[in-house]
Amino acid sequence: MKTKRIRTVLSVALVVVLFCVAFALLTRLLQPKYATSLTEGSMISQYYQESGGHEVIFVGDCEVYANFSPMELYRQAGITAYVRGTPQQLIWQSYYIIKETFTYETPKVIVLNVNSMRYSEPVSEAYNRLTIDNMRWSSEKVGIIQASMTEEESFFSYVFPLLRYHSRFDELTSEDFRYLFQSQYSTWNGYQMNKGVEPLETLPTYRALASYTFGDVCYEYLDQIRLLCQEHGTELVLIKAPSVYPFWYDEYDEQIEAYAEAYNLDFYNFLDVVDEIGIDYSSDTYDAGLHLNLSGATKLSSYFANILAETYDLADYRLDPEVSAVYEEKLLQYDAAVAE
Amino acid sequence: MLAQILILVAGLAIYAGYGLYGLCYLLIAAVITWLVGLLLPRHRWLMWPLIALNAVILACIKLQPVTQWSMAAPLGVSYFTLQIIAYVVDVAHGKYQPERNIVTFGLYLTYFPHLLFGPIEPFDHMKQALAERRCTWDALSRGGARVAWGLFKKLAVAARAGVVVGTISAAPEEYRGAYALLAMLLYSVQLYADFSGGIDIVLGVSQMMGLHLSENFNAPYFSQSIAEFWRRWHITLGAWLKNYIYIPLGGNRRGGVRKVLNLLITFLVSGLWHGVHYLLWGLFNGIFVAFGEGFKTRWKALNCGVTFLIISILWAFFVWPDTMTALESIGSLFTTFNYGALAGNFLELGLNMGEWLVFLVAVLVLWGYDLFQKRLSLWFGSAVPVLRTAVIAVLVLLVLVFGMYGIGFHAEEFIYSRF
Repeated sequence: MKTKRIRTVLSVALVVVLFCVAFALLTRLLQPKYATSLTEGSMISQYYQESGGHEVIFVGDCEVYANFSPMELYRQAGITAYVRGTPQQLIWQSYYIIKETFTYETPKVIVLNVNSMRYSEPVSEAYNRLTIDNMRWSSEKVGIIQASMTEEESFFSYVFPLLRYHSRFDELTSEDFRYLFQSQYSTWNGYQMNKGVEPLETLPTYRALASYTFGDVCYEYLDQIRLLCQEHGTELVLIKAPSVYPFWYDEYDEQIEAYAEAYNLDFYNFLDVVDEIGIDYSSDTYDAGLHLNLSGATKLSSYFANILAETYDLADYRLDPEVSAVYEEKLLQYDAAVAE
Repeated sequence: MLAQILILVAGLAIYAGYGLYGLCYLLIAAVITWLVGLLLPRHRWLMWPLIALNAVILACIKLQPVTQWSMAAPLGVSYFTLQIIAYVVDVAHGKYQPERNIVTFGLYLTYFPHLLFGPIEPFDHMKQALAERRCTWDALSRGGARVAWGLFKKLAVAARAGVVVGTISAAPEEYRGAYALLAMLLYSVQLYADFSGGIDIVLGVSQMMGLHLSENFNAPYFSQSIAEFWRRWHITLGAWLKNYIYIPLGGNRRGGVRKVLNLLITFLVSGLWHGVHYLLWGLFNGIFVAFGEGFKTRWKALNCGVTFLIISILWAFFVWPDTMTALESIGSLFTTFNYGALAGNFLELGLNMGEWLVFLVAVLVLWGYDLFQKRLSLWFGSAVPVLRTAVIAVLVLLVLVFGMYGIGFHAEEFIYSRF
């Protein structure tokens, strides 16, 4: 009798285990892989494959991962950098990504693109997913979910992504099966290369806004980022990438300048030095001024490499045999991709 | 008794989440009914003011369907009002003694799982179910499977049909003829899967707690006449109408004409219970019940098909928000012959090919289950625990993958909870 009961309990437990395995497999199958299309969704997880040791970490939206190439920073000044950019990264997302970064490494400089200061509430579930889904589980991931969720989202669906992606059963492609247990490496230290050219033909028109003041919540997170960097002895550098779209207002600029001055931070608005950098919007952008292409990113990265090297006590890792071996290998692959 | 108190308190706590005013109304109604019930054996006349009060309140809510008053109506008021009336009448007629234990009585009236859409339980049945309540592995696994099956019906079948019905009903001017017919047929599926799925969840949850409540459906779309349909659809409401409207009116004991009249009155009350917009629907059903039996043929499949078609057409009053639009849509079935256009455009009604395929397979599964329900139940009862667990696990996985829920869907809303 007792043996029978034990056998029953064990067999039921086995079914429960099999259920969990099937649940996990279905989750993996139905989750978007971001391997060959919408690759921005896999950017966040690529960082975890790195061994750390980056002296500069870029944080922000597409204006960082499309415009700054760490390979060029290394080539120009021996800087080891990584771009932790994700599509439409919001300021609170930047905060949690920086916080998570500090659990892996302590960079000398954090470069924050301030474009996200314009958004003071969650914008889109789709963008949230691209940033958050592939983050490793940690208290930072819990925090980023809670801060980012739109009204219609639930925390539960981040814990069990099957609840979000179950309806993809009729959208599955060969990509979903090919990358079921592997991921595709698609960036160079977080830089997303794009070689296309679509010239800027008309400048964006100035549209008056009801309010130009950044939201309180944005300032709160900017404060938290500043204090976090301070706590880790990391220099916080504010930038505005030279993207023409969306329009960057003078009022925005004044607020960032005032903040930088108040807390003794450096702020570089690259829109002011486009000519000095040598950016030509007829050939250096792949989408009419929204993002720079490879040519534009190379110019901007070279320009910024000099500033970083001259201003922030960064080592020249081209002279470090161990690090340079890794980066030279990466550069070879990068140059091959550039030449393709 | 402790378990009963826990179930009662938990139910009231959930109910409070839907609004404190509703909770107050429910508690006041429960206490007044309980107190009056104690007095009824000696003061039978008290039955009438209590019935009148409840009927007036319910009528006020039903006659003004879109006002703030009805919006603020306590959740499940349609169901517990019927239970109050049934209890008062039964006690007054000495069918059973008034309940002295307020917890048992409170649980009868406020048991949360069935407050939303039934089943409408007779008091003596509920009391017996509470007395016989036993938590066993058999009850737990059967209840679990039933909950999973209910979720499958609701999320995989009803939600998909609802997408197409919603698209068509939102533009009645554009979608007529074949489209209107498709909406009516799909609504039949949607309403059945939604309502019976909800009831499966209620009965399943109750079963898991050891409570066996009344069945509310018995494969209704296999009925061979409208009268049979109403014996197999929303069984507990049908029983209530029979016991407290049709029979007190005289039932079939006062001649043929009076029987027809009693049937029509009963179905009009049924229509009114759903809302003033459904009076005509109730009347048509009454007519079909009164005269439909005479048109049955000897071919069972034909009878089933015709019954299903008539019922589907009558659901038009549920599909379209006002009576005129519903009548126009029914009329368009005979004036607009656009079946070719529908065949070319059915992928533009909200479901893609994959979704349609899943829907059709799910409907076949539902149909097969209804056909072999008794055999499947026997098989499940004789299955070893590991097999039962496996059935539940597979059902849950099917619901998780093929269910329609998440952003843009309101999986928690059931059609019949708004009546």
